[in-house]
Amino acid sequence: MKKFFIKLCWFLAPFLIIAYPLDYFLSLQLSKGHDYPGEFEVWNDIYNKKINSEIAIYGSSRAWVQFNTKIVEDSSGLSCYNFGIDGHNFYMQYLRHLEYIKHNRKPKYIILSADFFSLQRRKDLYQPDQFLPYMLWNKNMAFYTKDYIKYGFADFYLPLIRFGGQQNANKSIIISILRSKKQEPFRYKGYKGMEKTWNNDLEDAKKKNKQVQVIYHEPTIHLLKKFLTDCKQDSIRVAIVYAPEHKEGQAYVKDRDILIQHFKDIAEEAKIPFLDYSMDTLCNSKNYFYNASHLNKLGSDIFTRTLIKDLKQQNFLK
Amino acid sequence: MLFNTIPFAIFLPIVYLLYWLLSKQKLVFQNILLLIASYFFYACWDYRFLFLLIFSTLLDYSTGIKMNAANSQSEKKFWFWLSIIINLGFLGVFKYYNFFAESFAGLLTQFGLTVHLSTLNVILPVGISFYTFHGLSYVIDIYYNRIRAEKNYIDYAVFVSFFPLLVAGPIERATHLLPQIQRKREFNLANSVDGLRQILWGLFKKIVIADQCAIHANDIFNNSSEFEGSTLVLGALFFAFQIYGDFSGYSDIALGTARLFGIELLRNFSFPYFSRDIAEFWRRWHISLSTWFRDYLYIPLGGNKGSLGNKVRNTFVIFLVSGFWHGANWTFIAWGLLNALYFMPLLLTGSNRTHLGTVAENKIFPTLKELTAMLVTFSLTCFAWIFFRANNLTHAFEFIRKIFTKKLFQLPSVSPISVIVLLIIFILIEWAGREQQYALANFGLKWHRVFRFGFYYLLIVLIFWFCGKEQQFIYFQF
Repeated sequence: MKKFFIKLCWFLAPFLIIAYPLDYFLSLQLSKGHDYPGEFEVWNDIYNKKINSEIAIYGSSRAWVQFNTKIVEDSSGLSCYNFGIDGHNFYMQYLRHLEYIKHNRKPKYIILSADFFSLQRRKDLYQPDQFLPYMLWNKNMAFYTKDYIKYGFADFYLPLIRFGGQQNANKSIIISILRSKKQEPFRYKGYKGMEKTWNNDLEDAKKKNKQVQVIYHEPTIHLLKKFLTDCKQDSIRVAIVYAPEHKEGQAYVKDRDILIQHFKDIAEEAKIPFLDYSMDTLCNSKNYFYNASHLNKLGSDIFTRTLIKDLKQQNFLK
Repeated sequence: MLFNTIPFAIFLPIVYLLYWLLSKQKLVFQNILLLIASYFFYACWDYRFLFLLIFSTLLDYSTGIKMNAANSQSEKKFWFWLSIIINLGFLGVFKYYNFFAESFAGLLTQFGLTVHLSTLNVILPVGISFYTFHGLSYVIDIYYNRIRAEKNYIDYAVFVSFFPLLVAGPIERATHLLPQIQRKREFNLANSVDGLRQILWGLFKKIVIADQCAIHANDIFNNSSEFEGSTLVLGALFFAFQIYGDFSGYSDIALGTARLFGIELLRNFSFPYFSRDIAEFWRRWHISLSTWFRDYLYIPLGGNKGSLGNKVRNTFVIFLVSGFWHGANWTFIAWGLLNALYFMPLLLTGSNRTHLGTVAENKIFPTLKELTAMLVTFSLTCFAWIFFRANNLTHAFEFIRKIFTKKLFQLPSVSPISVIVLLIIFILIEWAGREQQYALANFGLKWHRVFRFGFYYLLIVLIFWFCGKEQQFIYFQF
């Protein structure tokens, strides 16, 4: 039996020896890509401790395509970083917040972009491969993704396991290894303006459902309230901003006024400003949007300038 | 707990280590460990059905003893039928009740009568067909005085529940497995290495071949109305390799795992797609089930003795029952019927035992005649698989109707090159190893260690590359 174990150890030795270095290498190569529109760049900046910003913008895709960090910096004179995470509710935005403040200096201000999606909880782990390079022994990530089916205990605590069967991610790794030139950054400090015109997303959505109903996720609402309390304790000023949505998009959300009232109540309870741009003139023209809930580059530039002006007027930014 | 998951990769080494650490103790400790491990393995799926398994085990164990102790033939018969009825009763309720209820209601509707028979919303306990058949063979063998009843409950329970074979076979016989459980097992290096090699090959078959073919087979079968004939043929082909890779892969893992514990299980597959006629195919496909039906159904019915009519009847019975064993669906019965029809010409001409050896024995290439025979047999098998895979008979007939159109000769609209390349490599390795117990048994053993290990590493990398989403084994549903 001893001989069998020696043989087995010899056979497995190469795997065991290279497991961790290979894991590191694969993670590094994967994180160099532009997949999952620029999410890797944001995660890289977080884990490489590269963020030293006074203003942090949180939210979903409505944050990273609508809040122009360059304009925020120029208009406010404060450094800014946009942490918008594509397709995720506040629950996963909070994970990004935790990782950000764990590895970087805390911001002075947080602008939280709200939308009809924020207080819901999606069932699937959207764009799960974006977590792959950073998962190993990452307790926060393990905790906040544990309810999703996608990853299990072994993925977080054993090297290489999580790359098993990830054919898309593994193809990206091979492409990254073969790529001779370094890729230009996709986002600027987390922001990417979309040079697009109005598309058919809303019409396609309407074909599936006449209207969309917000299904509130109580634990997420509690988490948001806890986040606001924690920020207050850490002397971080938070403002909740409901950025412009095209009027047709607004009509598509059932009981939208109740949703807005929810945010108002949460803001009032935390004694923080809530800025609602639902009535902004931008909402009336498709020229500023590429779909019902996302401003294009032109729209986002105008909106960001307006927002900073308003935040200054309200003495939020000092 | 599936064989192709991390929990099993943790479970197996722990049980293995404890098992051999106990080898210097009394045999009973090893068997108790195997029993606990097996029950734990089963409970991981659904602990509630563990009680069903234990009940079934206790039933056959005690009726076996009662039959041995019976003072008269009628008493023996009573215990025998009690066991048979309860065993088949469980199988009937869990597996076939809804089928019969729906079919009966459907039949009455044909006569203008509307009945509402309530169906049961029950989960099929995994492995019920397999462990019920273990128990049945045991009581039948006792009834016909082929074996004595086992008095040691632990030994008997391990025979029924030994975890490598518990959920999808091979369907063991007491005459084969019980003596091994009762015998002291000594550690054997060659056996352990061979066991690991067979597990590796089984995982490759399941994860790389079956699961990759499944992606395309499922796509084509689930959307068959959108595809042209040539793609549907490809779908049937992919399903043929999916089911082979899945079930023979499972069997390889089961046999390899058992070998790690010093136990040899019955062989379940012997390169069936290299068969030269359908009779040979059935001697090589799901061998433990085919021989079970042969010994406990076909031969008692008279087998190939008696009039031609009897032979034909017996053949149809065995194939139809075999089809029905797979599940409560007319598609399985049609599959069985089709195979019986394939078998008829061989039976009627007395040529059903022509090909008893391995094709192209001691040769590299088959002759043209052998190759043609293999291709024809494989094509017939693929055609029958359409019924096996289809959702219902209408789907199967529609699938076949769409194959035989002008578009059969068009290029398929799906062309998963990587899967086709993997399949070609797989077939070549299987061909090279067709005279062995499993394809990898002797493959590369004469190579330098660097190349041999390199080949095994390559298999591991491929398994790792494709492992992804856990895929259930097809035969778990039976």
